[in-house]
Amino acid sequence: MKFYDALGLEPKLALDSDDVKKRFYDRSRQWHPDRFSRASSEEKQRSEEMTAVLNDAFRALRDPVTRAEYFLRESGLELSKDAPPELLEEVFDLNMALEELRGGDESARPQLAAAQERFTGMLGDADASLAEYFTNYDEKPDRAVLDEIHATLNRRRYVSNLVREVEKELNVHSAN
Amino acid sequence: MAYSDKVLDHYNNPRNVGSFDKSDPNVGTGMVGAPECGDVMKLQVKVNPATGVIEDAKFKTFGCGSAIASSSLATEWLRGKTVDEALAIKNTDIVNELSLPPVKIHCSVLAEDAIKAAIDDYKKKTEKVETSVQAQA
Ligand code: FES
Repeated sequence: MKFYDALGLEPKLALDSDDVKKRFYDRSRQWHPDRFSRASSEEKQRSEEMTAVLNDAFRALRDPVTRAEYFLRESGLELSKDAPPELLEEVFDLNMALEELRGGDESARPQLAAAQERFTGMLGDADASLAEYFTNYDEKPDRAVLDEIHATLNRRRYVSNLVREVEKELNVHSAN
Repeated sequence: MAYSDKVLDHYNNPRNVGSFDKSDPNVGTGMVGAPECGDVMKLQVKVNPATGVIEDAKFKTFGCGSAIASSSLATEWLRGKTVDEALAIKNTDIVNELSLPPVKIHCSVLAEDAIKAAIDDYKKKTEKVETSVQAQA
């Protein structure tokens, strides 16, 4: 996988983020275009390309979520567009409460605060299970684990959008 | 982004907003969501069990203007259709009617999915009733 290659890493899901960072800095320095100011135009171009790839690689691999997304795509898994069905009901109710709060109905606030807490907890759970799946997969690459990762990512993205939305509303309305 | 007049019309005057009691055996409920934008849509049909005709449809959508317009339009189209006719509604019909731009196509897909889910739910309910009737007999 290109991004792993760029940083000289084995294609593993579980990575040490300090190590990723260090590799990125070292290699960026090594390929920095300033060091190629007197080089041939071919080499110059190569240094620019490498710098660009390193930037993309670092951005994708430093964070477990974007890393897993990249990994899945590279493994030929189309990231699904389906919302997690088991959450929809709750999401809908949450949106109702948000609408009430926007309309000035303060009685919706406790419900939102409780939901906020629950969803934040779900994010933490998702991160924990991702870490676990990563190790499992690295030890024994199994397609079923990739599917689990896929589902977790999907759910995580959905929930994190929600958390952001609720946070925004709760803040806006407590401000005035 | 510029919305078409038809989208604006549905957005400003959404038709059939509301809900039915989802435990009603003649009501089918479809709940769908789009993870990229976090939008959710609930669409319900009330079917006349004798004729299989959708007598009424309601929706509530939390989402962008196109999603609201798509679901509003869908409820209009659903009224008076049989369950099977309803399943023939395609998101492309919605796209054409509302002149949705390519980036908003997924919003119409959401509406099509909601229709399918609602009909599905209704069909499941009627099957259940039939099997329990048979079981009693
Ligand atoms: S942008 Fe989400 S449904 Fe339209």
